[in-house]
Amino acid sequence: MILRITVWLILGFLVAPIAIIVLFSFHATPALSFPFQGFSLRWYAELLGNAALGAAVVKSLVIATATAMTCLVLGGAAALAWLRVGGRTRLALEVLWLTPIALPGLFVGVSLLVLFAQAGLQLSTFTIVIGHVVIALPVLILTMRARLSLFDPSLEEAARDLGANQFQVFRRVTIPLIMPTLVAAAILAFAVSFDEFIVTVFVAGTETTLPMYVWSMMRRTVTPLINAVSTLALVFSIAVLFAAWAIGHLKRKTAIAARTQQ
Amino acid sequence: MRLSNQTTGRLLAAPAAFYMSLFFVAPTAVLLVYSFWRAASYQIIPDFVFSNYLNALASALFWRVTGNAITIGLITAAATLILAIPVAYYLTYVRKSQAILYLVLITWFSSYLVRVYAWRTLLGTSGVLNTVLLQLGLVDAPVEALLFSRFAVAITLIHVYLPLCILLVASSLRDIKPELVEASRDLGTSQLGAFFRVVAPNAANGLIGAFMLTFILVAGDYVTPQMLGGPSGQTTGLLIADQFRKTGNWPLGAAQAFIMFALSILLYGAITLAGRWSGLLPGARRRQGAGA
Repeated sequence: MILRITVWLILGFLVAPIAIIVLFSFHATPALSFPFQGFSLRWYAELLGNAALGAAVVKSLVIATATAMTCLVLGGAAALAWLRVGGRTRLALEVLWLTPIALPGLFVGVSLLVLFAQAGLQLSTFTIVIGHVVIALPVLILTMRARLSLFDPSLEEAARDLGANQFQVFRRVTIPLIMPTLVAAAILAFAVSFDEFIVTVFVAGTETTLPMYVWSMMRRTVTPLINAVSTLALVFSIAVLFAAWAIGHLKRKTAIAARTQQ
Repeated sequence: MRLSNQTTGRLLAAPAAFYMSLFFVAPTAVLLVYSFWRAASYQIIPDFVFSNYLNALASALFWRVTGNAITIGLITAAATLILAIPVAYYLTYVRKSQAILYLVLITWFSSYLVRVYAWRTLLGTSGVLNTVLLQLGLVDAPVEALLFSRFAVAITLIHVYLPLCILLVASSLRDIKPELVEASRDLGTSQLGAFFRVVAPNAANGLIGAFMLTFILVAGDYVTPQMLGGPSGQTTGLLIADQFRKTGNWPLGAAQAFIMFALSILLYGAITLAGRWSGLLPGARRRQGAGA
Protein backbone atom coordinates (compact mmCIF):
# COMPACT_ATOMS: atom_id res chain seq x y z
CA MET A 1 0.00 0.00 0.00
CA ILE A 2 2.78 2.42 0.97
CA LEU A 3 4.58 1.38 -2.21
CA ARG A 4 1.52 2.13 -4.30
CA ILE A 5 1.07 5.58 -2.79
CA THR A 6 4.77 6.32 -3.32
CA VAL A 7 4.54 5.25 -6.96
CA TRP A 8 1.52 7.47 -7.62
CA LEU A 9 3.15 10.42 -5.85
CA ILE A 10 6.22 10.04 -8.08
CA LEU A 11 4.04 9.80 -11.17
CA GLY A 12 2.19 12.90 -9.95
CA PHE A 13 5.50 14.73 -9.79
CA LEU A 14 6.14 13.68 -13.41
CA VAL A 15 2.74 14.70 -14.74
CA ALA A 16 1.75 17.75 -12.65
CA PRO A 17 4.12 20.33 -14.22
CA ILE A 18 3.03 19.28 -17.70
CA ALA A 19 -0.64 19.36 -16.70
CA ILE A 20 -0.22 22.88 -15.30
CA ILE A 21 1.36 24.04 -18.57
CA VAL A 22 -1.61 22.66 -20.50
CA LEU A 23 -4.12 24.19 -18.07
CA PHE A 24 -2.65 27.71 -18.31
CA SER A 25 -2.55 27.57 -22.10
CA PHE A 26 -6.34 28.02 -21.82
CA HIS A 27 -6.08 30.88 -19.32
CA ALA A 28 -8.11 34.00 -20.06
CA THR A 29 -5.44 36.32 -18.63
CA PRO A 30 -1.64 36.41 -19.14
CA ALA A 31 -1.04 35.43 -15.49
CA LEU A 32 0.58 32.00 -14.99
CA SER A 33 -0.57 31.35 -11.43
CA PHE A 34 -3.67 30.47 -9.46
CA PRO A 35 -6.46 31.51 -8.98
CA PHE A 36 -7.49 30.42 -12.44
CA GLN A 37 -9.55 33.16 -14.05
CA GLY A 38 -11.55 31.40 -16.73
CA PHE A 39 -10.99 29.57 -19.98
CA SER A 40 -10.19 31.14 -23.30
CA LEU A 41 -8.72 30.11 -26.63
CA ARG A 42 -7.14 33.52 -27.23
CA TRP A 43 -3.54 32.24 -27.09
CA TYR A 44 -4.25 29.57 -29.67
CA ALA A 45 -5.96 32.17 -31.87
CA GLU A 46 -2.89 34.38 -31.56
CA LEU A 47 -0.64 31.50 -32.66
CA LEU A 48 -2.60 31.04 -35.88
CA GLY A 49 -1.54 34.40 -37.28
CA ASN A 50 2.16 33.83 -36.54
CA ALA A 51 3.95 33.29 -39.86
CA ALA A 52 7.42 32.78 -38.35
CA LEU A 53 6.07 30.00 -36.14
CA GLY A 54 4.41 28.36 -39.15
CA ALA A 55 7.69 28.44 -41.07
CA ALA A 56 9.52 26.88 -38.11
CA VAL A 57 6.91 24.08 -37.87
CA VAL A 58 7.26 23.32 -41.59
CA LYS A 59 11.06 23.28 -41.29
CA SER A 60 10.88 20.89 -38.33
CA LEU A 61 8.46 18.60 -40.18
CA VAL A 62 10.77 18.47 -43.23
CA ILE A 63 13.83 17.76 -41.06
CA ALA A 64 12.04 15.11 -39.00
CA THR A 65 10.78 13.37 -42.14
CA ALA A 66 14.24 13.35 -43.74
CA THR A 67 15.73 12.07 -40.47
CA ALA A 68 13.14 9.30 -40.15
CA MET A 69 13.68 8.18 -43.78
CA THR A 70 17.47 8.10 -43.40
CA CYS A 71 17.15 6.22 -40.12
CA LEU A 72 14.68 3.80 -41.71
CA VAL A 73 17.15 2.83 -44.46
CA LEU A 74 20.31 2.77 -42.31
CA GLY A 75 18.60 1.25 -39.29
CA GLY A 76 16.70 -1.32 -41.34
CA ALA A 77 19.92 -2.63 -42.85
CA ALA A 78 21.55 -2.48 -39.43
CA ALA A 79 18.74 -4.52 -37.91
CA LEU A 80 19.08 -7.20 -40.59
CA ALA A 81 22.82 -7.21 -39.98
CA TRP A 82 22.23 -7.54 -36.25
CA LEU A 83 20.28 -10.76 -36.90
CA ARG A 84 23.17 -12.24 -38.89
CA VAL A 85 26.44 -11.32 -37.27
CA GLY A 86 27.39 -12.76 -33.94
CA GLY A 87 29.83 -12.42 -31.09
CA ARG A 88 32.50 -9.82 -31.37
CA THR A 89 31.28 -8.15 -34.57
CA ARG A 90 27.91 -7.60 -32.97
CA LEU A 91 29.48 -6.09 -29.87
CA ALA A 92 31.71 -3.77 -31.91
CA LEU A 93 28.76 -2.59 -33.99
CA GLU A 94 26.67 -1.96 -30.89
CA VAL A 95 29.39 0.17 -29.33
CA LEU A 96 29.61 2.17 -32.57
CA TRP A 97 25.84 2.53 -32.97
CA LEU A 98 24.76 3.11 -29.39
CA THR A 99 27.49 5.28 -27.82
CA PRO A 100 26.01 8.63 -29.00
CA ILE A 101 22.97 8.01 -26.79
CA ALA A 102 25.18 7.76 -23.69
CA LEU A 103 26.91 11.09 -24.29
CA PRO A 104 25.53 14.56 -23.61
CA GLY A 105 24.05 16.10 -26.76
CA LEU A 106 26.46 18.97 -26.21
CA PHE A 107 29.41 16.70 -27.03
CA VAL A 108 27.80 15.45 -30.26
CA GLY A 109 26.80 18.99 -31.22
CA VAL A 110 30.18 20.68 -30.80
CA SER A 111 32.12 17.83 -32.42
CA LEU A 112 29.83 17.99 -35.49
CA LEU A 113 30.30 21.76 -35.55
CA VAL A 114 34.11 21.46 -35.69
CA LEU A 115 33.85 18.71 -38.33
CA PHE A 116 31.63 20.85 -40.57
CA ALA A 117 33.88 23.86 -40.06
CA GLN A 118 36.96 21.81 -40.90
CA ALA A 119 35.29 20.30 -43.99
CA GLY A 120 34.10 23.72 -45.11
CA LEU A 121 30.47 22.59 -45.10
CA GLN A 122 27.95 25.44 -44.77
CA LEU A 123 25.50 24.96 -41.89
CA SER A 124 22.01 24.36 -43.26
CA THR A 125 18.93 22.15 -43.09
CA PHE A 126 21.16 19.40 -44.44
CA THR A 127 23.63 19.61 -41.54
CA ILE A 128 20.73 19.60 -39.07
CA VAL A 129 19.49 16.32 -40.58
CA ILE A 130 23.00 14.85 -40.33
CA GLY A 131 23.10 15.73 -36.62
CA HIS A 132 19.60 14.43 -35.94
CA VAL A 133 20.37 11.07 -37.54
CA VAL A 134 23.37 10.65 -35.19
CA ILE A 135 20.99 11.11 -32.22
CA ALA A 136 17.96 9.25 -33.62
CA LEU A 137 19.67 6.21 -35.15
CA PRO A 138 20.73 4.76 -31.76
CA VAL A 139 17.15 5.18 -30.49
CA LEU A 140 15.84 3.37 -33.56
CA ILE A 141 18.37 0.54 -33.31
CA LEU A 142 17.80 0.18 -29.57
CA THR A 143 14.01 -0.02 -30.05
CA MET A 144 14.38 -2.58 -32.84
CA ARG A 145 16.87 -4.73 -30.97
CA ALA A 146 14.39 -5.64 -28.25
CA ARG A 147 11.81 -6.69 -30.88
CA LEU A 148 14.28 -8.47 -33.13
CA SER A 149 15.31 -10.85 -30.39
CA LEU A 150 11.86 -12.41 -31.01
CA PHE A 151 12.63 -12.87 -34.72
CA ASP A 152 12.65 -16.53 -35.75
CA PRO A 153 15.53 -17.23 -38.20
CA SER A 154 14.07 -20.65 -39.01
CA LEU A 155 11.43 -18.89 -41.14
CA GLU A 156 14.21 -17.68 -43.45
CA GLU A 157 15.76 -21.13 -43.50
CA ALA A 158 12.42 -22.71 -44.36
CA ALA A 159 11.99 -20.35 -47.33
CA ARG A 160 15.51 -21.17 -48.50
CA ASP A 161 14.86 -24.91 -48.21
CA LEU A 162 11.78 -24.44 -50.35
CA GLY A 163 14.01 -23.08 -53.12
CA ALA A 164 13.76 -19.33 -52.69
CA ASN A 165 16.91 -17.43 -53.57
CA GLN A 166 18.42 -14.91 -51.20
CA PHE A 167 16.63 -11.94 -52.75
CA GLN A 168 13.26 -13.72 -52.63
CA VAL A 169 13.75 -14.70 -48.99
CA PHE A 170 14.59 -11.12 -48.21
CA ARG A 171 11.63 -9.63 -50.10
CA ARG A 172 8.94 -12.15 -49.19
CA VAL A 173 9.91 -13.28 -45.69
CA THR A 174 12.35 -11.03 -43.87
CA ILE A 175 11.04 -7.60 -44.91
CA PRO A 176 7.34 -8.33 -44.22
CA LEU A 177 8.30 -9.72 -40.82
CA ILE A 178 10.41 -6.79 -39.65
CA MET A 179 8.55 -3.97 -41.45
CA PRO A 180 5.98 -3.14 -38.72
CA THR A 181 8.70 -2.88 -36.08
CA LEU A 182 10.89 -0.88 -38.44
CA VAL A 183 8.14 1.62 -39.29
CA ALA A 184 7.21 2.04 -35.62
CA ALA A 185 10.87 2.65 -34.74
CA ALA A 186 11.22 5.16 -37.61
CA ILE A 187 8.25 7.09 -36.21
CA LEU A 188 10.08 7.29 -32.88
CA ALA A 189 13.10 8.65 -34.78
CA PHE A 190 10.73 11.26 -36.25
CA ALA A 191 9.60 12.21 -32.74
CA VAL A 192 13.20 12.48 -31.51
CA SER A 193 14.12 14.75 -34.41
CA PHE A 194 11.01 16.92 -34.13
CA ASP A 195 11.85 17.73 -30.50
CA GLU A 196 15.66 17.89 -30.80
CA PHE A 197 17.17 21.11 -29.51
CA ILE A 198 20.54 20.52 -27.84
CA VAL A 199 22.43 19.34 -30.94
CA THR A 200 20.44 21.53 -33.34
CA VAL A 201 21.72 24.74 -31.74
CA PHE A 202 25.25 23.98 -32.92
CA VAL A 203 24.55 22.72 -36.44
CA ALA A 204 21.63 24.97 -37.47
CA GLY A 205 23.49 28.07 -38.65
CA THR A 206 20.75 30.57 -39.45
CA GLU A 207 17.95 28.00 -39.77
CA THR A 208 15.12 28.00 -37.22
CA THR A 209 13.36 24.80 -36.19
CA LEU A 210 10.29 24.71 -33.94
CA PRO A 211 12.22 24.03 -30.70
CA MET A 212 14.64 26.85 -31.59
CA TYR A 213 11.74 29.19 -32.19
CA VAL A 214 10.14 28.20 -28.88
CA TRP A 215 13.50 28.77 -27.19
CA SER A 216 13.75 32.29 -28.59
CA MET A 217 10.21 32.97 -27.30
CA MET A 218 11.13 31.66 -23.85
CA ARG A 219 14.21 33.81 -23.59
CA ARG A 220 12.25 36.96 -24.28
CA THR A 221 9.41 36.54 -21.81
CA VAL A 222 7.03 34.20 -20.06
CA THR A 223 3.65 34.24 -21.78
CA PRO A 224 0.75 31.78 -22.16
CA LEU A 225 1.59 31.86 -25.86
CA ILE A 226 4.46 29.50 -25.04
CA ASN A 227 2.04 27.31 -23.07
CA ALA A 228 -0.17 27.07 -26.14
CA VAL A 229 2.75 26.10 -28.42
CA SER A 230 3.92 23.60 -25.79
CA THR A 231 0.47 22.05 -25.53
CA LEU A 232 0.25 21.64 -29.30
CA ALA A 233 3.74 20.09 -29.38
CA LEU A 234 2.72 17.74 -26.57
CA VAL A 235 -0.46 16.66 -28.36
CA PHE A 236 1.58 16.10 -31.52
CA SER A 237 4.18 13.96 -29.65
CA ILE A 238 1.46 11.83 -28.08
CA ALA A 239 -0.22 11.39 -31.47
CA VAL A 240 3.10 10.34 -33.02
CA LEU A 241 3.79 7.89 -30.18
CA PHE A 242 0.31 6.47 -30.53
CA ALA A 243 0.81 6.09 -34.30
CA ALA A 244 4.06 4.19 -33.69
CA TRP A 245 2.33 1.90 -31.22
CA ALA A 246 -0.73 1.35 -33.45
CA ILE A 247 1.30 0.60 -36.59
CA GLY A 248 3.51 -1.78 -34.67
CA HIS A 249 0.48 -3.70 -33.42
CA LEU A 250 -1.89 -3.55 -36.39
CA LYS A 251 0.66 -4.40 -39.05
CA ARG A 252 1.97 -7.29 -37.05
CA LYS A 253 -1.56 -8.62 -36.80
CA THR A 254 -2.28 -8.22 -40.53
CA ALA A 255 1.08 -9.77 -41.40
CA ILE A 256 0.21 -12.83 -39.33
CA ALA A 257 -3.34 -12.93 -40.75
CA ALA A 258 -2.02 -12.76 -44.34
CA ARG A 259 0.38 -15.60 -43.65
CA THR A 260 -2.29 -17.87 -42.21
CA GLN A 261 -4.60 -17.24 -45.17
CA GLN A 262 -2.09 -18.22 -47.85
CA MET B 1 26.55 -17.78 -55.51
CA ARG B 2 25.32 -17.76 -51.95
CA LEU B 3 26.94 -15.46 -49.41
CA SER B 4 27.37 -16.68 -45.87
CA ASN B 5 25.21 -15.15 -43.15
CA GLN B 6 28.22 -13.47 -41.59
CA THR B 7 29.23 -11.82 -44.91
CA THR B 8 25.72 -10.58 -45.71
CA GLY B 9 25.50 -9.30 -42.17
CA ARG B 10 28.68 -7.30 -42.54
CA LEU B 11 27.53 -5.85 -45.87
CA LEU B 12 24.21 -4.84 -44.32
CA ALA B 13 25.94 -3.30 -41.32
CA ALA B 14 28.23 -1.24 -43.52
CA PRO B 15 25.98 1.79 -44.26
CA ALA B 16 25.09 2.52 -40.62
CA ALA B 17 28.64 1.76 -39.48
CA PHE B 18 30.01 4.08 -42.16
CA TYR B 19 27.56 6.81 -41.17
CA MET B 20 28.47 6.63 -37.50
CA SER B 21 32.19 6.54 -38.29
CA LEU B 22 31.85 9.63 -40.47
CA PHE B 23 29.52 11.68 -38.27
CA PHE B 24 30.29 10.44 -34.77
CA VAL B 25 33.79 8.94 -34.56
CA ALA B 26 35.46 11.35 -37.00
CA PRO B 27 33.98 14.50 -35.35
CA THR B 28 35.12 13.27 -31.95
CA ALA B 29 38.64 12.81 -33.40
CA VAL B 30 38.55 16.29 -34.95
CA LEU B 31 37.43 17.73 -31.60
CA LEU B 32 40.34 15.98 -29.89
CA VAL B 33 42.76 17.43 -32.46
CA TYR B 34 41.22 20.89 -31.95
CA SER B 35 41.89 20.67 -28.23
CA PHE B 36 45.62 20.85 -29.03
CA TRP B 37 45.33 23.80 -31.40
CA ARG B 38 45.33 27.39 -30.28
CA ALA B 39 43.11 30.39 -30.78
CA ALA B 40 44.67 33.77 -31.39
CA SER B 41 42.75 36.93 -32.25
CA TYR B 42 39.62 35.06 -33.36
CA GLN B 43 41.58 32.67 -35.57
CA ILE B 44 42.22 29.02 -34.92
CA ILE B 45 45.78 27.97 -35.62
CA PRO B 46 46.82 24.33 -36.08
CA ASP B 47 49.46 23.51 -33.51
CA PHE B 48 50.29 20.97 -30.83
CA VAL B 49 50.11 22.71 -27.47
CA PHE B 50 48.81 21.67 -24.08
CA SER B 51 48.00 25.25 -23.13
CA ASN B 52 44.22 24.73 -23.52
CA TYR B 53 44.24 21.91 -20.99
CA LEU B 54 46.59 23.81 -18.67
CA ASN B 55 44.56 27.03 -18.95
CA ALA B 56 41.32 25.19 -18.27
CA LEU B 57 42.77 23.37 -15.25
CA ALA B 58 44.29 26.59 -13.88
CA SER B 59 41.06 28.56 -14.21
CA ALA B 60 39.12 29.21 -11.00
CA LEU B 61 35.95 29.72 -13.04
CA PHE B 62 36.35 26.30 -14.63
CA TRP B 63 36.62 24.57 -11.26
CA ARG B 64 33.74 26.55 -9.81
CA VAL B 65 31.35 25.59 -12.63
CA THR B 66 32.70 22.03 -12.71
CA GLY B 67 32.08 21.79 -8.95
CA ASN B 68 28.54 22.95 -9.66
CA ALA B 69 28.10 20.47 -12.50
CA ILE B 70 29.34 17.56 -10.37
CA THR B 71 27.24 18.57 -7.34
CA ILE B 72 24.10 19.03 -9.43
CA GLY B 73 24.92 15.84 -11.35
CA LEU B 74 25.38 13.70 -8.22
CA ILE B 75 22.32 15.09 -6.41
CA THR B 76 20.16 14.77 -9.51
CA ALA B 77 21.37 11.28 -10.41
CA ALA B 78 20.92 10.04 -6.82
CA ALA B 79 17.44 11.56 -6.47
CA THR B 80 16.43 10.30 -9.91
CA LEU B 81 17.56 6.77 -9.08
CA ILE B 82 15.82 6.80 -5.69
CA LEU B 83 12.56 7.95 -7.34
CA ALA B 84 12.93 5.55 -10.27
CA ILE B 85 13.39 2.42 -8.14
CA PRO B 86 9.91 2.26 -6.53
CA VAL B 87 8.21 2.81 -9.89
CA ALA B 88 10.38 0.24 -11.68
CA TYR B 89 9.96 -2.23 -8.79
CA TYR B 90 6.21 -1.77 -8.84
CA LEU B 91 6.08 -2.23 -12.62
CA THR B 92 8.22 -5.36 -12.53
CA TYR B 93 7.06 -7.25 -9.44
CA VAL B 94 3.75 -5.89 -8.21
CA ARG B 95 1.62 -5.00 -11.21
CA LYS B 96 2.61 -4.73 -14.89
CA SER B 97 0.48 -1.65 -15.35
CA GLN B 98 0.31 -0.52 -19.00
CA ALA B 99 -1.16 2.81 -17.85
CA ILE B 100 1.93 3.60 -15.75
CA LEU B 101 4.24 2.50 -18.54
CA TYR B 102 2.53 4.78 -21.09
CA LEU B 103 2.50 7.66 -18.61
CA VAL B 104 6.26 7.29 -18.25
CA LEU B 105 6.76 7.02 -22.02
CA ILE B 106 4.62 10.07 -22.72
CA THR B 107 6.52 12.22 -20.24
CA TRP B 108 9.80 10.96 -21.70
CA PHE B 109 8.72 11.94 -25.20
CA SER B 110 7.17 15.24 -24.20
CA SER B 111 9.38 18.10 -25.25
CA TYR B 112 12.50 18.79 -23.23
CA LEU B 113 12.07 22.55 -23.62
CA VAL B 114 8.44 22.37 -22.51
CA ARG B 115 9.48 20.72 -19.27
CA VAL B 116 12.23 23.26 -18.61
CA TYR B 117 9.70 26.02 -19.29
CA ALA B 118 7.18 24.34 -16.98
CA TRP B 119 9.57 24.55 -14.04
CA ARG B 120 10.45 28.10 -14.90
CA THR B 121 6.82 29.14 -14.62
CA LEU B 122 6.27 26.95 -11.52
CA LEU B 123 9.24 28.33 -9.60
CA GLY B 124 9.01 32.03 -10.58
CA THR B 125 8.21 34.73 -7.99
CA SER B 126 4.66 34.97 -9.37
CA GLY B 127 4.62 31.26 -10.18
CA VAL B 128 2.34 28.53 -8.92
CA LEU B 129 4.62 27.31 -6.13
CA ASN B 130 5.17 30.74 -4.63
CA THR B 131 1.49 31.72 -4.78
CA VAL B 132 0.53 28.47 -3.07
CA LEU B 133 3.16 29.03 -0.35
CA LEU B 134 1.88 32.59 0.16
CA GLN B 135 -1.75 31.54 0.35
CA LEU B 136 -0.95 28.81 2.85
CA GLY B 137 0.81 31.46 4.92
CA LEU B 138 4.05 29.47 4.96
CA VAL B 139 6.02 32.46 3.71
CA ASP B 140 5.42 36.21 3.91
CA ALA B 141 7.00 37.22 0.62
CA PRO B 142 7.64 35.23 -2.60
CA VAL B 143 10.79 33.12 -2.32
CA GLU B 144 13.05 34.40 -5.09
CA ALA B 145 15.67 31.75 -4.49
CA LEU B 146 13.38 29.09 -5.93
CA LEU B 147 14.24 30.21 -9.45
CA PHE B 148 17.78 30.83 -10.70
CA SER B 149 19.57 28.52 -8.29
CA ARG B 150 21.17 25.11 -8.18
CA PHE B 151 17.98 23.83 -6.59
CA ALA B 152 15.95 24.95 -9.62
CA VAL B 153 18.40 23.28 -12.01
CA ALA B 154 18.44 20.05 -10.00
CA ILE B 155 14.67 19.67 -9.66
CA THR B 156 14.14 20.41 -13.35
CA LEU B 157 16.76 17.89 -14.41
CA ILE B 158 15.28 15.27 -12.05
CA HIS B 159 11.97 15.80 -13.80
CA VAL B 160 13.59 15.66 -17.26
CA TYR B 161 15.61 12.46 -16.73
CA LEU B 162 13.35 10.50 -14.35
CA PRO B 163 11.35 8.75 -17.12
CA LEU B 164 14.55 7.54 -18.82
CA CYS B 165 15.89 6.33 -15.48
CA ILE B 166 12.65 4.44 -14.73
CA LEU B 167 12.92 2.65 -18.08
CA LEU B 168 16.60 1.81 -17.49
CA VAL B 169 16.01 0.49 -13.97
CA ALA B 170 12.97 -1.50 -15.09
CA SER B 171 15.02 -3.16 -17.83
CA SER B 172 17.76 -4.09 -15.36
CA LEU B 173 15.18 -5.55 -12.94
CA ARG B 174 13.66 -7.65 -15.70
CA ASP B 175 16.69 -9.97 -15.59
CA ILE B 176 16.01 -10.96 -11.97
CA LYS B 177 13.60 -13.84 -11.56
CA PRO B 178 10.32 -12.69 -9.90
CA GLU B 179 10.32 -16.05 -8.03
CA LEU B 180 13.29 -14.82 -5.98
CA VAL B 181 11.35 -11.77 -4.85
CA GLU B 182 8.19 -13.83 -4.23
CA ALA B 183 10.16 -16.34 -2.16
CA SER B 184 11.63 -13.64 0.04
CA ARG B 185 8.19 -12.04 0.42
CA ASP B 186 6.69 -15.42 1.42
CA LEU B 187 9.38 -15.73 4.04
CA GLY B 188 8.12 -12.52 5.59
CA THR B 189 10.42 -9.86 4.16
CA SER B 190 8.93 -6.42 3.56
CA GLN B 191 8.97 -4.83 0.09
CA LEU B 192 11.86 -2.65 1.25
CA GLY B 193 13.72 -5.69 2.60
CA ALA B 194 13.09 -7.62 -0.60
CA PHE B 195 14.54 -4.74 -2.56
CA PHE B 196 17.69 -4.37 -0.47
CA ARG B 197 18.36 -8.07 0.15
CA VAL B 198 17.30 -9.60 -3.16
CA VAL B 199 16.89 -7.07 -5.94
CA ALA B 200 19.64 -4.52 -5.28
CA PRO B 201 22.57 -6.98 -5.04
CA ASN B 202 21.47 -8.71 -8.24
CA ALA B 203 20.73 -5.53 -10.17
CA ALA B 204 23.70 -3.55 -8.81
CA ASN B 205 25.42 -3.21 -12.19
CA GLY B 206 22.22 -2.03 -13.86
CA LEU B 207 21.49 0.44 -11.07
CA ILE B 208 24.99 1.88 -11.19
CA GLY B 209 24.70 2.07 -14.99
CA ALA B 210 21.44 4.01 -14.70
CA PHE B 211 23.01 6.32 -12.10
CA MET B 212 26.07 7.00 -14.26
CA LEU B 213 24.13 7.58 -17.47
CA THR B 214 21.87 10.06 -15.66
CA PHE B 215 24.93 11.74 -14.12
CA ILE B 216 26.69 12.11 -17.47
CA LEU B 217 23.60 13.47 -19.24
CA VAL B 218 22.84 15.87 -16.37
CA ALA B 219 26.39 17.11 -15.87
CA GLY B 220 26.68 17.84 -19.59
CA ASP B 221 23.34 19.62 -19.86
CA TYR B 222 23.63 23.30 -20.76
CA VAL B 223 20.07 24.39 -21.50
CA THR B 224 18.57 24.05 -18.02
CA PRO B 225 21.48 25.85 -16.26
CA GLN B 226 21.19 28.66 -18.80
CA MET B 227 17.43 28.94 -18.32
CA LEU B 228 17.18 28.34 -14.56
CA GLY B 229 20.66 28.41 -13.09
CA GLY B 230 21.25 32.12 -12.60
CA PRO B 231 24.81 33.15 -11.70
CA SER B 232 25.20 30.46 -9.01
CA GLY B 233 23.90 27.54 -11.06
CA GLN B 234 26.30 27.67 -14.04
CA THR B 235 27.80 24.37 -15.14
CA THR B 236 30.69 23.11 -17.26
CA GLY B 237 28.25 22.25 -20.03
CA LEU B 238 27.15 25.88 -20.27
CA LEU B 239 30.77 27.07 -20.16
CA ILE B 240 31.69 24.73 -23.02
CA ALA B 241 28.59 25.63 -25.05
CA ASP B 242 29.44 29.33 -24.71
CA GLN B 243 32.98 28.75 -26.01
CA PHE B 244 31.41 27.48 -29.20
CA ARG B 245 28.46 29.87 -29.39
CA LYS B 246 29.87 33.15 -28.10
CA THR B 247 33.54 33.64 -27.23
CA GLY B 248 34.74 31.58 -30.16
CA ASN B 249 37.68 29.91 -28.41
CA TRP B 250 36.94 26.47 -29.83
CA PRO B 251 40.23 24.81 -28.85
CA LEU B 252 39.68 25.78 -25.20
CA GLY B 253 36.09 24.52 -25.35
CA ALA B 254 37.29 21.24 -26.86
CA ALA B 255 39.86 20.79 -24.08
CA GLN B 256 37.20 21.54 -21.43
CA ALA B 257 34.88 18.95 -23.02
CA PHE B 258 37.55 16.26 -22.82
CA ILE B 259 38.45 17.16 -19.22
CA MET B 260 34.77 16.81 -18.30
CA PHE B 261 34.68 13.47 -20.10
CA ALA B 262 37.76 12.24 -18.19
CA LEU B 263 36.25 13.39 -14.88
CA SER B 264 33.09 11.38 -15.65
CA ILE B 265 35.15 8.26 -16.28
CA LEU B 266 37.11 8.80 -13.04
CA LEU B 267 33.85 9.16 -11.16
CA TYR B 268 32.51 5.98 -12.70
CA GLY B 269 35.63 4.14 -11.52
CA ALA B 270 35.28 5.63 -8.04
CA ILE B 271 31.61 4.62 -7.78
CA THR B 272 32.33 1.08 -8.96
CA LEU B 273 35.10 0.77 -6.36
CA ALA B 274 32.89 2.23 -3.65
CA GLY B 275 30.20 -0.28 -4.64
CA ARG B 276 32.63 -3.17 -4.24
CA TRP B 277 33.81 -2.00 -0.85
CA SER B 278 30.34 -1.35 0.49
CA GLY B 279 29.27 -4.82 -0.62
CA LEU B 280 26.57 -3.74 -3.07
CA LEU B 281 28.45 -4.97 -6.11
CA PRO B 282 29.25 -8.60 -6.94
CA GLY B 283 32.47 -9.83 -5.42
CA ALA B 284 31.46 -8.88 -1.92
CA ARG B 285 27.95 -10.22 -2.37
CA ARG B 286 28.73 -13.71 -1.10
CA ARG B 287 29.81 -12.35 2.24
CA GLN B 288 26.54 -10.47 2.59
CA GLY B 289 24.55 -13.57 1.62
CA ALA B 290 26.33 -15.62 4.27
CA GLY B 291 25.62 -13.01 6.92
CA ALA B 292 21.91 -12.80 6.16
